[in-house]
Amino acid sequence: MGGVGRHLGFWIGAAAFVALAFAMALTVRNEYAFFAGFVVLQFIVLATAWNILGGYAGYVNFGTSAFFGIGVYTAVFLLKAVAAPLWIQIGVAALVGAALGLGVGLLTLRLRGIFFSIATVAITIIAETLITNWKFVGGATGVQLLRPPVTEPFDSYIKMLFVIAAVMVVIAVALARYVQNSGLGRGLRAIRDDEIAAECSGVPTLNLKLVACALSGALMCAAGAPSAMYLQFADPVSAFNLNYSVSALAMSLIGGTSHWIGPVLGAILLATTQQLLTVTISSEVNVLVLGVMLVLFVVAAPEGIIGLARRLWRWARRRTS
Amino acid sequence: MGSGRIHRRTAVAGALAAGLALPVRAQQGPVKIGMSMPLTGGLAAGGKSALVGIEVWRDDVNEKGGLLGRKVELIVYDDKSSAAETPAIYSKLLDVDKVDLLFAPYATVPTAPIMPMVKQRDLLLMGNFSFQVNRTVKHDKWFNNAPWGPADSWARGFIDLGMKAGAKTIALIGADQEFAQNLMKIAKDVATEKGVKVVYEQSYPPATAEFSAMVRAIRAARADMVFVCSYPPDSVGLLRAINEIGIGDSVRLFGGGMVGLQFSSVMESMGSLLNGVVNYNSWLPEKSMEFAGTKDFFVKYQKRAGEAKVDPLGYYLAPFGYAMGQMVEQAANATKSLDHKKLADFLRSNEMMTIVGPIVFGPDGERKESATLMAQFRGVVDKNIEQFRNPGKQIILFPEKWKTGELVQPFEKARK
Repeated sequence: MGGVGRHLGFWIGAAAFVALAFAMALTVRNEYAFFAGFVVLQFIVLATAWNILGGYAGYVNFGTSAFFGIGVYTAVFLLKAVAAPLWIQIGVAALVGAALGLGVGLLTLRLRGIFFSIATVAITIIAETLITNWKFVGGATGVQLLRPPVTEPFDSYIKMLFVIAAVMVVIAVALARYVQNSGLGRGLRAIRDDEIAAECSGVPTLNLKLVACALSGALMCAAGAPSAMYLQFADPVSAFNLNYSVSALAMSLIGGTSHWIGPVLGAILLATTQQLLTVTISSEVNVLVLGVMLVLFVVAAPEGIIGLARRLWRWARRRTS
Repeated sequence: MGSGRIHRRTAVAGALAAGLALPVRAQQGPVKIGMSMPLTGGLAAGGKSALVGIEVWRDDVNEKGGLLGRKVELIVYDDKSSAAETPAIYSKLLDVDKVDLLFAPYATVPTAPIMPMVKQRDLLLMGNFSFQVNRTVKHDKWFNNAPWGPADSWARGFIDLGMKAGAKTIALIGADQEFAQNLMKIAKDVATEKGVKVVYEQSYPPATAEFSAMVRAIRAARADMVFVCSYPPDSVGLLRAINEIGIGDSVRLFGGGMVGLQFSSVMESMGSLLNGVVNYNSWLPEKSMEFAGTKDFFVKYQKRAGEAKVDPLGYYLAPFGYAMGQMVEQAANATKSLDHKKLADFLRSNEMMTIVGPIVFGPDGERKESATLMAQFRGVVDKNIEQFRNPGKQIILFPEKWKTGELVQPFEKARK
């Protein structure tokens, strides 16, 4: 009964979130809120996607920017080749991401720890080099894209992108939540705690990791697709920027990797801070503030915001009892 | 009761007065000019230098009483040299800060994403050293301060010089990055059009540090001229490799599009290795490049550059930042307005006098005629930044109107 209630609560919350985003798009006139909001929502999807493999299974992935960039370029390719609408761009990017996740997983998931992480860095370099040499999508010079007319009932494209990003957040979080609560999540946690013990206990470790890698890759690529239309420009250096990998990882760690809400909180906190710092301090101090935040969390709250909240909760209960 | 009525009346009168006074007060507020600038990241050195140039203009114009009688205020945010940051920043500038005018950030990549935005909102955007960024968008209120001019004029200047010196073949090398690839493609097209044979063509990954194999290959190809499209680290690497191996006696002209050789730190560290290279530039301390206000500007810039720890010479970008402001100032004074359409109409159809010379725009918002210099390094000694403050170290060969000397060739002779 409690489980059903929790499910219902989650979906009511998700519906309310999308409805709020939609209402904002129809009523708020100031477009800056949508530009900044889109970036925050995009990072929620990326951090949630990262956490499926990096958090639940403990496989630290530095390849987020590779998947994100491939998502961007899938959209660019579809737009240039067949003038595909945005939802097709996102859908195809998710499929490409899943296939790529599976392929990359097959090649790299036999590696563990630091060796896996290094292999994922290499994926970004390979993907960036390939795109740099592919003239059809602009090659090294990049490509400028013109948005098609906006679809009703939105009055501007960025508002539409904002609502689409909100829907993507719900899909990503629902997927992460499902993984966490299913047998897949339990298997991944067993892998994180002790992979050999899990294997010996009959957990199909490689298969589970592959599924996690495919899901994670699909979400990352899907997050990249609308970015092409957001920037209306794509170049390999920006699309495969290592910042996406580092941010997704940092957001999950700051939020906490053990629960789906962790990356969401981490992404909201970090991405919002980044956006605010950009238009307030706007200098090298920007980078310093984020660095200090990371160090503080690693030292004071190694299990992220979730861990900190749990500790506070236990402490409060002890005090009351 | 009575006193309450008086209060109400006063309140109504006050509200009316405030209502009437509001537009007047808004008129007299500062003219806000918004921009993002790469203050951190790979483009930061250039961005900071360009910003100091714009700040010198702001202070000069404010000293003269401001723009249309209103003080000029700059609102600047750091875009971290990234294209991903600029759409949100420019939306903030327009929708929250409500700026009156927009300047573009330094360089092509951060500028590219804001071009569609300004076109959709039909706004004036003063460009800041980007390259062919309006090619796809075709915005009619875009005006680039860079001296580039038509896309092919850069390569054309170099190849014309080479052909005059008797060159019949060319080698093309360039980094696998946005700007270098654009330039290399154009150079190849111009060479083909002019009947110059391309005997060697090579792109290299941006992180390349070792160029000896490439230099040997160019030497073996016996090209008459070598057009290089490189970024600062590769420009340095290439010149060092040439110094060690030599490029051969066939080469009459070497350089063209080497980014980095315009920056003080690179010029100082490379010293005599620069001699003989014929490279693009934007402004140089030669007699032919002195216009009204140029000297004053550099006195002010170089004083601030020390405090701001930016390029101490500042020839490449800073005066063009100042010129951006000058152009807006002239357009605003002439039209007595900050209306973007009126300003754009004026900028499109008039010659603007600036500290980097007269500027006339073509229909695409780039210079009608290229003012990109091709200059040859001569008599440069090692570890001396001061030498570059005087004329004679970079002889202007192109364009003809600003020429200050003749080409010394072949390249190996000019290096000595």
